[in-house]
Amino acid sequence: MHDLLQNLILGFSVALTLQNLMYCFIGVFLGTMIGVLPGIGPLATMAMLLPLTFFLPPVSAIIMLAGIYYGSDYGGSTTAILVNLPGEGSSVVTLLDGHPMAQQGRAGPALAIAAIGSFFAGCVSTLLIALVGPPLASVALNFGSPEYFSLMLMALVCASVVGSGSLLKSLAMVAAGLLIGIVGTDLSTGMSRFTFGVVELSDGVGIAVVAMGVFGLTEIVKNLGGPHMTQTIVRGKIQGLMPKWQDLKTCFGPIFRGTSIGALYGPLPGLGGTISSFTSYMLEKKLAKDPSRFGNGAIEGVAGPESANNACAQTTFVPMLTLGIPGSASMALMLGAMIIHGITPGPQVMTSRPDLFWGLIASMWIGNGMLLLLNLPLIGIWVKLLQVPYRLLFPIIMTMMGIGIYSLSNSGTDVLLMALFGFVGYILMKLGCPFPPLILAMVLGPVMEENLRRSMFLSEGDATIFITRPISGAFIFATVALLIVFIVPALRRYRRDIGNEAPQRG
Amino acid sequence: MISRTIPKRLGVACVALAAMASVQDTHAQSSFPNRPVRLVNPYTPGGSVDIVSRAVAAGLGEIWGQQVIVDNRPGAGTVIGTEIVTRAEPDGYTMLCNSSAIAIMPAMYRSIKFDTVRDLSAIIHVTSSNSMLAVHPSVPVKSVKELIVLAKAQPGQMTAAVSGIGSTNHLTTELFKTMAQLDLLVVPYKGGGPAMTDLIGGQVKMFFNSAAAFLPLMKAGKVRVLATSGAQRADYAPEIPTVAESGLPGFESSTWFAIYGPRALPAALAQRWNEAVNRYLETPQAKEYFRKNHMRPVGGTIASFAEYHKSETARWSKVIVSAGIKPQ
Repeated sequence: MHDLLQNLILGFSVALTLQNLMYCFIGVFLGTMIGVLPGIGPLATMAMLLPLTFFLPPVSAIIMLAGIYYGSDYGGSTTAILVNLPGEGSSVVTLLDGHPMAQQGRAGPALAIAAIGSFFAGCVSTLLIALVGPPLASVALNFGSPEYFSLMLMALVCASVVGSGSLLKSLAMVAAGLLIGIVGTDLSTGMSRFTFGVVELSDGVGIAVVAMGVFGLTEIVKNLGGPHMTQTIVRGKIQGLMPKWQDLKTCFGPIFRGTSIGALYGPLPGLGGTISSFTSYMLEKKLAKDPSRFGNGAIEGVAGPESANNACAQTTFVPMLTLGIPGSASMALMLGAMIIHGITPGPQVMTSRPDLFWGLIASMWIGNGMLLLLNLPLIGIWVKLLQVPYRLLFPIIMTMMGIGIYSLSNSGTDVLLMALFGFVGYILMKLGCPFPPLILAMVLGPVMEENLRRSMFLSEGDATIFITRPISGAFIFATVALLIVFIVPALRRYRRDIGNEAPQRG
Repeated sequence: MISRTIPKRLGVACVALAAMASVQDTHAQSSFPNRPVRLVNPYTPGGSVDIVSRAVAAGLGEIWGQQVIVDNRPGAGTVIGTEIVTRAEPDGYTMLCNSSAIAIMPAMYRSIKFDTVRDLSAIIHVTSSNSMLAVHPSVPVKSVKELIVLAKAQPGQMTAAVSGIGSTNHLTTELFKTMAQLDLLVVPYKGGGPAMTDLIGGQVKMFFNSAAAFLPLMKAGKVRVLATSGAQRADYAPEIPTVAESGLPGFESSTWFAIYGPRALPAALAQRWNEAVNRYLETPQAKEYFRKNHMRPVGGTIASFAEYHKSETARWSKVIVSAGIKPQ
């Protein structure tokens, strides 16, 4: 405890210098601003702004880059809530209730609760890194391919059972998502799958491309295509900018649970924010007294996933800082930046560069605070944006979407693909198909396939590996238990419904 | 009379035009570069090619007094970025910085529309880096020789991580497998990060990866580094033997980084690039920078690198064929 205090004092003495405060602010500011651009998630924002940090001293550069990273996470939820435009996988969850809130004139509280939840999650999970970083990393090391597969199987089962609406349509969307996720280069053989000779497809179809097509473009076509063109996005009266005390009270639990979920998922390499957001959303919906509110502007549906996403963003740093292993593409980029600055990443960073390690941790608290102070006043401006006539707003949105998607990998193919998914999305919407299962399957599918095949590789084709390994076995057991818990009452209800209907028919 | 003078005059005119053109040409070349230069990097920012391309860009920028911009065009095993340069104007303002992936590409991707040897001008070999062979500490071997004995005793049991089919470390592993006549279980990962996680966690037993990734973990006792893949020991870690001297004579594999231009790049411009990069590699800050990043500056003439590029391309295509990897 004494050591921790001393380390934190060291950290704050680094992070609180005028220079580092400034770079932290520049980082979170640029991160938020560019993160607001649709399609440009944390990775693209960092890639774009990385060269700016090459001219700085190493610690300032890493602090600024980290600021860009979690800053763009804050920005990403803004377009999701305001105009139904998810820039990345995790925002897909935010818009489910965030955008309906905006349409009802409650964009202010939605944006505010996203910022407050993110702030709380950021602070708590940074504290976790400081307290138990190395043990958290060793948990991640115990996760081999079978464990990942079983964990994701559990997530997918939860998603399909908890989802609302037609089960058949949900399953169809899951299948479509898995198929889209297959496009690209096969990991185990290097063969191309469904690329039709297009070189740009050999790395697969980006989540942002599909999410922006089916949510963003479809929404625009829907708004323009009705008998009366939408005048402005807000249908009701704008009801205040800040959440009411009642809202905050409702959100305390979801924020706390979301933070725990995100903080646990973060250190596991390759999982990322999308899965923690989905898990949090499903959990809140399951716990809610009235689940039908979800999807129609339930504030818990914004608070939980946003907290989960930001907690995950912070604890993703754990394997990178304590072992020098990147858990995600963003962290790989961060690692590359450290190397370019002459810092050798690895287990020694904590002891050989305590100024960097603790300075970064201290800067995360400061940066999250800055983000809260930066984002709350911006809400007023964003909400004003909603009153802009839609005929002026939608061309701007579409231009931004084009720029955002193009800059993901400087490729025009992605823009065309987004347009294609917008077209497909409109048809699917008319058919009443839900999009979240599509996105979740697209995120989970490739990771599940990779880990399933690798597990079978390692076990030489013996499928019992999933049950005999203790952590994996526990997930499989939990999956079966969840299935029973969810399905038995549903079956009972189904039987009762048949029982009720039968006499009427007779 | 007329019939004789016209061809003569035409001839004179042609010579004059050619002379004018060459004057203009040398003028353009001597003032090169007079606007910002683009160095295409076919990887995402922060990767190992970035370690080279960013430094070269900054170094050349100082020498030329012009900005050299690194343009990341990732995707499809560097095919996308490379293709951009094969199609670029051969004026020296759009060049490519690629890794040895470019020597693997022709045999791995049958569908590419260009020939890496014919459609690119090799300019200079910038740096080389050796990979290292490490095992999880629970594997009871202390040398490459013991590893080979152990793997032979349990055919198909020794697991080797590789970061993607057709990556340099995959082909290095295949080369090792073929030369030592081993039956290894090759386990593919999406990138080096997940493979490292599984090596440290003991989910896989061996992995060829960069020194930069292994050395800090070796010091912390999380992995056991057996050997370096290069022809000589690395000067930043002289205590680590080469694979060749510790059990597999003749084995050599290194990752290298080089600069290319479009096919029709005039010789004078190619020479300017080559000289400038050579000059940068001679500076003390370049030497210090690459040593710290576990790389060896190489440099040299255009001809020697063109030869090396050709021989490496031939060598890896042979490994791909003998390992039975199916090209796309």
